[in-house]
Amino acid sequence: MKIIVCIKQVPDTTEVKINPETGTLIRTGVPSILNPYDHFALESALNLKKKHPGFTVDVISMGPPQAKAVVQFALALGADEGILLSDAAFAGSDTWATSYALSMAIKKIGKADMIFCGMQAIDGDTAQVGPGIAQQLGLPQVTFCEHIEVEGKTIIAERHIDGGSETVELRAPALFTMIMPKDHPYAYPSFTQIYSASKKKFSIWNAQDIGAESHYLGLKGSPTQVSKIYPPKKETETQFFNVSAAEAAEKIVEIMKKEGFIK
Amino acid sequence: MLEISVKCIGCTKCVAVCPFGALSMSGKKAVVNMSACTLCGACVQICPVEAISIKRETASKDFSSYKGVWVFVELEDSEDLSAEGDIRKVSFELLSEGRKLADSLKEDLCAVVFAAKNKNYERILGEYGADKVYFCENEEFTVYNTDIYCAAFSALINKHKPSAVLFPATVKGRDLAPRIASALYVGLTADCTALSIRDGLLVQSRPAFGGNIMADILSPNSRPQMATVRPNVMKISQPKSGKIAILIREDIKIDKNMRRVKVLKRRMEKASSSLKIENANMIVSGGRGMKSKERFRLVEELASVLGAAVGASRAAVDMGFKEKSHQVGQSGVTVSPRLYMAFGISGAVQHLVGMKNSDIIVAVNKDPNAMIFTAAKYAFIGDAHQILPKLTEILKKGLKKD
Amino acid sequence: MPSLDAISRNLMLDSLKAYAKKKITYDYIREKDAANECPLEVLKEMYDTDKLGVHLLMIPAEYGGVSGGTYDIYRICEQLARIDLGIATSVFATFLGTDPLNVGGTEEQKEKWLKKIAKEKLMVAYAATEPDAGSDLVNLKTRAEHVIKNGKLAGYSITGAKQWISNGGIADLYTVLAMAPGGPSWFLVEKNYEGFSPNHHEDKHGIRLSNTSGLSLDNVFVPVENLIGAQEGKGLLQAQAVFGYTRLMVAAFGLGAGWEALENAIRYSQQRIQAGGPLSDKQGYTHKFLVSHAANLEAARSYIEYVANRLDSGEHGLQTEGAIAKYWATESGNKAAEDAIQALGGYGYTRDFPVEKIKRDIKITCIYEGTSEVMEMTIYRGRWQEHLKTRGEFYSAMAKEMESLHALNPNVGADACALSLKALGTVLEECRINKLTRHQYVTFKLGSLIAASEIAWSFCKTAAADKYSETVKFDKKTYETMARVNAKNTALRTAMEGSALVLSAVDDPAGFAEKINLKEIEKKQKGLLADMDFIASSLKSSFKAR
Repeated sequence: MKIIVCIKQVPDTTEVKINPETGTLIRTGVPSILNPYDHFALESALNLKKKHPGFTVDVISMGPPQAKAVVQFALALGADEGILLSDAAFAGSDTWATSYALSMAIKKIGKADMIFCGMQAIDGDTAQVGPGIAQQLGLPQVTFCEHIEVEGKTIIAERHIDGGSETVELRAPALFTMIMPKDHPYAYPSFTQIYSASKKKFSIWNAQDIGAESHYLGLKGSPTQVSKIYPPKKETETQFFNVSAAEAAEKIVEIMKKEGFIK
Repeated sequence: MLEISVKCIGCTKCVAVCPFGALSMSGKKAVVNMSACTLCGACVQICPVEAISIKRETASKDFSSYKGVWVFVELEDSEDLSAEGDIRKVSFELLSEGRKLADSLKEDLCAVVFAAKNKNYERILGEYGADKVYFCENEEFTVYNTDIYCAAFSALINKHKPSAVLFPATVKGRDLAPRIASALYVGLTADCTALSIRDGLLVQSRPAFGGNIMADILSPNSRPQMATVRPNVMKISQPKSGKIAILIREDIKIDKNMRRVKVLKRRMEKASSSLKIENANMIVSGGRGMKSKERFRLVEELASVLGAAVGASRAAVDMGFKEKSHQVGQSGVTVSPRLYMAFGISGAVQHLVGMKNSDIIVAVNKDPNAMIFTAAKYAFIGDAHQILPKLTEILKKGLKKD
Repeated sequence: MPSLDAISRNLMLDSLKAYAKKKITYDYIREKDAANECPLEVLKEMYDTDKLGVHLLMIPAEYGGVSGGTYDIYRICEQLARIDLGIATSVFATFLGTDPLNVGGTEEQKEKWLKKIAKEKLMVAYAATEPDAGSDLVNLKTRAEHVIKNGKLAGYSITGAKQWISNGGIADLYTVLAMAPGGPSWFLVEKNYEGFSPNHHEDKHGIRLSNTSGLSLDNVFVPVENLIGAQEGKGLLQAQAVFGYTRLMVAAFGLGAGWEALENAIRYSQQRIQAGGPLSDKQGYTHKFLVSHAANLEAARSYIEYVANRLDSGEHGLQTEGAIAKYWATESGNKAAEDAIQALGGYGYTRDFPVEKIKRDIKITCIYEGTSEVMEMTIYRGRWQEHLKTRGEFYSAMAKEMESLHALNPNVGADACALSLKALGTVLEECRINKLTRHQYVTFKLGSLIAASEIAWSFCKTAAADKYSETVKFDKKTYETMARVNAKNTALRTAMEGSALVLSAVDDPAGFAEKINLKEIEKKQKGLLADMDFIASSLKSSFKAR
């Protein structure tokens, strides 16, 4: 089977800082990482490749030229071929326009049996691009997946639902979005793997390469618009205590009594 | 296109705020690298002289025929695949919020139900504010299927042309809504925490960048305007007893072959021994500052003494201190207990949006600038590792006496 | 070797960080430090080519390595030092031990040994130092005598003692410097050779995770093919050829460990509340313990990168530059670590916080690969030649370069740097006229002043560049301010200490005061306080409390 994994480079949101005076993001020095959900999607695909000789795994990402880093990371972990969609025409794309561009690229690659995406990206948390691609390609989708097994053309997937889980069955081709399992020891490539990744096949495609119609791309092609960005507003008056641990513990008990949580 | 006009005074503020490093100074003026720019608008906000603007080509379309605020009514799942569950609580939250939006638009609020059987939906949903119920009756709806629901819902939208559609930001809602939005080529905003109407448009507010900032999103050039809304964020209004919605039965043809994904088995979690955070009265939560799974026990011990549920920040869950089902926040569960105690949680907005509706928030953190304190009523600058055992000890003694 | 592409380099750093985060926690390091124990299992994993394979950086791709350049190795060394300087030293010892092979080995030797090191995760030790020969290798006592079999040179019999050899007790392969009949030469000695034995592991002040032992060689027979380069007497040249490069690695250690200590202090300062506010808001704290160290260390980085790029573009030697980088980075790192303890107060003095260990560890960087005093001498020697050769033009040309830079970018302190370089040139010239360099103290002091001014020169250029390197964590304004603060401090120091040096031996030389131009340098101090305030607030937002 031919698997395509869609990955995204994101700022490490746990490292993003806020300027307390202006309430704006401080981006300097914040590292860019592979979206952790995509990291798991990639590992899931590579595990299938290990298990089933003959499977191939290609990765595709959309972003500025520096997003090549995550593609190369994926190649180092074991992906066969990497593609980066990079073009000023993509700038400002919302989830709709992003899904469109990615689905056009996937069509161009052709003959994909399985498409893996992270459930969502940690910088946007929308979880829309995976289903968007599935719709554009007319494929069935299984979202919030934890585990995938393949037998011939039949795929059995374990997925998360609210308050439980489901086992589902379907046939390729199909699209899957992967959740991030807790306590998962993410794989990192060795120096040799990283070195050989820089020699693997990597291409950069622009809007023309994927045959995209420009009015569906970028800001023009995006139905949603950001009208305002602002710091989250403060709603409660805060009472501060800077006391010893023992005093703090007593004070908390006092508050709980006052508010009626304990007698 | 991002345009920087001659008004630029070279103050470099925009360069500093650009989340994508797309702006730089060339001489005394800011310049943009369009290959890095995502047109997020952060620079437009910060520019003191309004020198930066985003140029959009606006296709003005006539949307006057699009009327009505719709709410997708989600039913509970059960292990029995032939059973149809009750209406999920989040549906009432959406109806309560949708009612306000419909009122300010002076349009109808409509509930959309897909089910095999009508279980008095016009009454139940009517009491929570629905003017109409679009009821789609078919046995194929009992087990949720993306393709079937998407086809049916899209057909319904094309037929009745609503101006806005709200989905719960549940697994089902987040599976279905993007599929419909993609099919119809309309805007969809995920995980909204607030909605309002401005100039006839739906203003959809949501956290972004891991919750570090808030963004207002509009979908001005397509209809319907679609949004998914976090459960437990919107307050449920008092139901109006006796109010009955108009039931509109929709006959939708379903081809069984559309079901390409088959559910073989469904397992629902039993109410486990540990308290569920969704409905807890008191939650004791721990974050990255608890440092290790072992030390996270301090949080659990306090919770057990209090009979409170245990919560955790995303960082704590990612680091394996606690299971995902205990995660409070944007990518976990939104909670609104009467008491929320946060230990060693820095308070990224991603966490804050999930707990800020709690009645009383007590926070302990070493960093006096921790964001968690902005949401807290009582803020303790100190070491959770030292305070927690002392607190648990006092409470243990106190409770023994009683 | 030219450096790798930036993406590959940073992926390697990420893998190293991810490994360290999982396996080399502070609790683990603390335990090993207390036990004075080398973490062999961790080192084996770091050398495991399926897991990491850090040692491959030193080995060209054709021998199974990944062909890292100087820049790559500097980055990895900095990161290793941030993790633990003992572990870093152990990895470095393999780098260093491989060096004579890389530089002087024959094709057959490289083919055999480099491949073996790459594949079999061999730990290598570099055995040069002896009880009576430290930085000064000329006093070499270890002898390599010819062993003749059937009328042919079959090999060498090596006898002697080596001291303070990193990886001495744990290495699989040793590159040993010994005096052959034809002069000092490098030999490859495997751990199982008869007559070879390591001594006990030293009980050291710091880098206690690094195994350090003496070696005894008692008539150890080494086959002739193990003479590196297949030619006797090349040893010292082979050793010196890489000093510019190996000293840069130690500079990276000073940089990494120094920043690690400083970062600890910056984060701590935001948590510790004293007299109603966090320490990070108090000038008496930030300007003393944080600001100048940050500027000094970033200045060191700019110079390290400058030298690394030159080496990667094919230049050789750069001994003076390597010495400047090592001297400045390790001395700055050492001071930053010293102040980090003070910055953490009582906590800093305990082993609950890593700064105490970093302080003990980092001191070695001022000692090994040539002490700071050897560096002062090396720097002085190198630049004194330049000064004489160019008739004083060397520093006036650099000063002119800074003046034109100031015209292009007035924010980096290039004007102050120009004054510093001019003052330096003046001091050197007075020393020449009055033959002051017959005093050793003067020469060492000159070495120190030369390093400071050249570092400032490099930092000004880096901060004024259009595009910063991948390592710069600060925004342009902060970085420029750091360069400015460094230039101002350096100018004042050059003028004051340089004058004191000359005036201590010469009666008020004619026109000296005008040429030193202290007045103008004093004027340039304007704004220093505001600059320090700004850097303090930037540091706070860059390294938030955890």
